[in-house]
Amino acid sequence: MGEAKKSLTGESFVFGDDVQKRELLEAAFDYRGDVTLELASGEKLEGYLFNRQLDRTPYFVEMFVAGEATPRCIPVDQIIALHFSGKDAADGKSYEAWKSKKLKERQEESKKIESEMKRAGLLD
Amino acid sequence: MVPLSQIWTVASYVLSKKIKGEKRYPLVLMLEPLFRCNLACAGCGKIQYPDHILNRRLTPEQCWAAADECGAPIVSIAGGEPLVHKEIDRIVAGLIERKKYIYLCTNAILLRKRIDLFKPSKYLTFSIHLDGLKEEHDESVCREGVYETAVEGIKEAVKRGFRVTINSTLFDGANPQRVRTFFDEVMSLGIEGIMVSPGYSYQKAPDQEHFLQRNKTRELFQQILREKKKSWKFNLSPLFLEFLQGNVEYDCTPWGNPTYNVFGWQKPCYLLQDGYAKSFKELIETTPWEKYGFRSGNPKCANCMVHSGYEATAVNDTFGSWKGFVKTVKAALS
Ligand code: SF4
Repeated sequence: MGEAKKSLTGESFVFGDDVQKRELLEAAFDYRGDVTLELASGEKLEGYLFNRQLDRTPYFVEMFVAGEATPRCIPVDQIIALHFSGKDAADGKSYEAWKSKKLKERQEESKKIESEMKRAGLLD
Repeated sequence: MVPLSQIWTVASYVLSKKIKGEKRYPLVLMLEPLFRCNLACAGCGKIQYPDHILNRRLTPEQCWAAADECGAPIVSIAGGEPLVHKEIDRIVAGLIERKKYIYLCTNAILLRKRIDLFKPSKYLTFSIHLDGLKEEHDESVCREGVYETAVEGIKEAVKRGFRVTINSTLFDGANPQRVRTFFDEVMSLGIEGIMVSPGYSYQKAPDQEHFLQRNKTRELFQQILREKKKSWKFNLSPLFLEFLQGNVEYDCTPWGNPTYNVFGWQKPCYLLQDGYAKSFKELIETTPWEKYGFRSGNPKCANCMVHSGYEATAVNDTFGSWKGFVKTVKAALS
């Protein structure tokens, strides 16, 4: 814990074997950003991979594709490549990062979030 | 004080489950109708999602169905910030109709603005997130002025006759004396009680450094609760407070506080995300429970002492035997 992990943002993988495929899909499940799955059919699906069943059959992952109301369930054998296409929402948001910023930067960031939230009607 | 009707409801629920021989039953449904929040605290692992996920909401019907499905007598509505949900009043009203005791967990930023949506009821408690006095809380939530806004919200809610509690998470470096002063200050606001829990490093939380390790947790709570003041009321089982001080040893009851959110039923608990089940039945039947909790040896659970994992154990201990009941009475009187 506490070790800074290298962000996977922007990385792409074509699977070598099933073990690597499982590990990478597990990493995609842990990832806090969107990923793009390339399917054997040629289709590319971009969205948030929120669930997976990789330890027993049927092997599948579940993804919320942006703009679609219900999640898609995708059989693992149809996935041929994986791209960590979206920004990692947990990256650079640590408490340490927050503390290490100069007071002025923190105040500016706080103001920015505040005005975004006001625009969204989440603050008075 | 927690109303007797609530204590009675929980006690009779636990006893009926025990009589039926049910091994795994829920006590508190952790309902997360959205992940969007109007704060961005460094310690929070609940809000780190892409925008299209933060924009998703559970409908009131989905919330009620989850409450019906699992049957827990208490529903804790968390998130995200529940007051941001446009239909939070309908969600709450539907749960009250079902006679669920609701803890609406809020940072209180929007409380004054939205309080007219609710009516005081023995079933509804505003559980206000405050992590300490002004300096500690504003630092914990990464924004100036939030403490004062929350206190204004508390005063308004108390004035209108709502049940109000404080929900406080203590992190590494917490000063026991300051925490004691904080308890004095919040009790003077006329709240019903305090819920307090050590912070825990959610697997996904960006801040992994400031969560308390087990020994430090015990030390901190011993210092805070030494010579507990009569004026402090806790909305927690007395045995959970004993557990935090290291006076009793418990293992986790992760199915005691199941979590339902926009992804489904979260496996295994509120803190860890090891996948999702489509139904509560599937959650109970397919989660490998033996792999979780302190005694399992799972490193993810090694330092966890949070109330969502261990309070259910304390409650089961209280109502599970005369010995447990006597222990609770003694702890409550100490
Ligand atoms: S000990 Fe229990 S509550 Fe804590 S992380 Fe493990 S399963 Fe979850």
